[in-house]
Amino acid sequence: MTQLAWLLVLIPAFPLAGFLLNAFLLRGERATGVVASLSIVASFVTTLIAVTNLAATPEDARFISAHLWDWLAIGKVNVSVGLWFDPLTAVMTLLITGVGSLIHIYSISYMHGDHRPHRYFAYLNLFVFAMLILVMSDNLFLLFLGWEGVGLCSFLLIGHYFERSSVAPGIVPSEASAKAFVANRIGDAGLLLAMMAIVSNFGTLSFFGADGNSGFISRLTDASFITVNLGVFGSIGLVSGIAMLMILGVAGKSAQLPLYTWLPVAMAGPTPVSALIHAATMVTAGVYLIVRMHVAFDLAPDAAGLVTVIGAVTALIGATAAITQFDIKRVLAYSTISQLGFMVAAAGMGAYTAAIFHLLTHGLFKALLFLGSGAIIHGMHDIQDMRRMGGLRTHMPTVYRVYLIGALALAGIFPLAGFWSKDEILVHAWYSAQNVNITVMLVFASWMTAFYMGRQMALTFAGSTRDHDVHPHENLGTMKWPLYILAVASVLGGIINLPGIHWLTDWLSPVLHHKAELYTWSMGIFATLIVVSAGAIGYLGYRLYSGALLAQIKAGEEDPAHYYLGDIWKGFEMGWGLDYVYQRLLVRPYRTFSHFLSEVFDRQAIDGILVEGSAGLVGKVSQAASRAQNGSVRTYALVFLIGVVIIVGYVVIGA
Amino acid sequence: MLPTIFYIGLSALLFAIGVCGVLMRRSALMVFMSVELMLNSANLALVTFANQWKSLDAQVMVFFVITIAAAEVAVGLALLVMIFMRKQTTNIDSMNTLKG
Repeated sequence: MTQLAWLLVLIPAFPLAGFLLNAFLLRGERATGVVASLSIVASFVTTLIAVTNLAATPEDARFISAHLWDWLAIGKVNVSVGLWFDPLTAVMTLLITGVGSLIHIYSISYMHGDHRPHRYFAYLNLFVFAMLILVMSDNLFLLFLGWEGVGLCSFLLIGHYFERSSVAPGIVPSEASAKAFVANRIGDAGLLLAMMAIVSNFGTLSFFGADGNSGFISRLTDASFITVNLGVFGSIGLVSGIAMLMILGVAGKSAQLPLYTWLPVAMAGPTPVSALIHAATMVTAGVYLIVRMHVAFDLAPDAAGLVTVIGAVTALIGATAAITQFDIKRVLAYSTISQLGFMVAAAGMGAYTAAIFHLLTHGLFKALLFLGSGAIIHGMHDIQDMRRMGGLRTHMPTVYRVYLIGALALAGIFPLAGFWSKDEILVHAWYSAQNVNITVMLVFASWMTAFYMGRQMALTFAGSTRDHDVHPHENLGTMKWPLYILAVASVLGGIINLPGIHWLTDWLSPVLHHKAELYTWSMGIFATLIVVSAGAIGYLGYRLYSGALLAQIKAGEEDPAHYYLGDIWKGFEMGWGLDYVYQRLLVRPYRTFSHFLSEVFDRQAIDGILVEGSAGLVGKVSQAASRAQNGSVRTYALVFLIGVVIIVGYVVIGA
Repeated sequence: MLPTIFYIGLSALLFAIGVCGVLMRRSALMVFMSVELMLNSANLALVTFANQWKSLDAQVMVFFVITIAAAEVAVGLALLVMIFMRKQTTNIDSMNTLKG
């Protein structure tokens, strides 16, 4: 292995070392936090060095691969543990380690006074390790290990307060973590099936092979004419089938349409966890997978179309649900679902660069918003209900400023990071994909994004304090610097792919083979129209909730808009009731069935017949047999005689 | 010399009387004597067959039976004495405490 390859190994090795130290050696709160943060910062620095080295390689062979060892060799299928570092991995790794180290540093102050800081930091490090394995793996199998690893860490961290029976807003942490795990597992099944299909048809799980050209991705084109017979379900192209199965995995991990219900309740974990896992990194794994497998989606228009529809509908659902929430973190959670919908829709339409661009900028400003909301919750003494906030602008000026930047970036206001990335997706939907329906859905979703961020700003910061029992204070400690850095990044993040400069497009072109598109005047006008209308709607949301509707906001009462929209509002608030459907369709029949098994079947069939029944039978039989032992010697003698007569008779007569 | 069948017949008759005694008598002492009767009927049969085949094997067996019967009598009578001392009776039907 070359020196560069060893450098690659160091990137995930630092978080792993941090995890091991925190898990087995360190126990002090200060020490665990510092070690955990340092390990991620070291990983970030290593990534920077690796990226500079990568940039120096010629563009047609811009990848570093590190084959570590052979993991499994079954027949002709050889699964290796190997790392792969190309421009796509590079940007993902930078985001994970960059935002990751900021969130670790933030956590030192945020988790101050926690009962189990070593547990928290160990799992946070393990998460970063798993996420790095996910994006750096050179084959699907190792990717799946990371994929499962991040799911596990998500489960463990959502359940960080597992001993509490309820956290705001009325979520049971242990149930929320189990729900996230189960929803992810359904998605994982899809990815696993896709892997099996790839192994059985291509005989390898390596993306690119050792030379960058011998993996299964380069052979997908040749396989595009193969169809698979599904019996009564007709037939499907092999590549489409693989892509469709992967969509299920994407839907699970990236909280898309049928499986998004786990993300809103995942807010039961500590806020930095929500920032790192459920906003900036883990949930983007699905988008990364689509972009990594983009050849398959290019070859399967039906699967790509499905991805687009799922993304656009999820963007709408997430946005409508975010409007109605009162929990400060739930607004952001639904907003994340919505923004992930944007990315997935962009990837479905073939705008992979735009998807990655939005993934990066969203990672920055959503981490900022979550960390800001964490600072608010910290300052409000664990109150998350926006109805009890208000007037925080005077109490928490720093948080107000950075939160405003994050909100404007998320709403897509010029010239912040979110404007450029979201604009690129919308422009692609309108001009390149020429898909009116998707464009309209996404534009609506982005308008609503502006509205709910305006509403949130108004409810949280504007006016005066509604709850006079709490005394908010601003005591940030190490939480300050991550907020500043992310705020600056949210302002400047758009630079990486400005129209006309398009660094990101050029950087990713060895992987995605996208050429930067010419930015026309009409695109500029389109973008201006959208940003102006979004700005107006955002301002409207702010004005409504800081002026006209403010008097009706009271703790424990419905939103004033509920009066006008009624059940529609209620439906939005429930996330379009998908949870309700699952509850009725899956959870309750399953509970009934388990209840039947435990209360009826187990009691009567298992206990009654098998356990007590067999014991009773043995007892009855031996009772009957013991009656023969009546103690009377003469009876024994008689039986003995009869026996002798029979035996002798048999011997004499029979023989 | 009488034909062998008479000896065997007598032996069978004695054995049957012994069996009947074991099964029917109430007194443990009488049951005990019936057992002795059965043993001696077997001895008679053995001696008869030894005479028939001019072989000494069966006669040797008879000595064994007599010896063991003597030992059995010694143990058995001792048991009977103990039973009588405990229960003040030798009625065999009252000795039924050893049951399941």
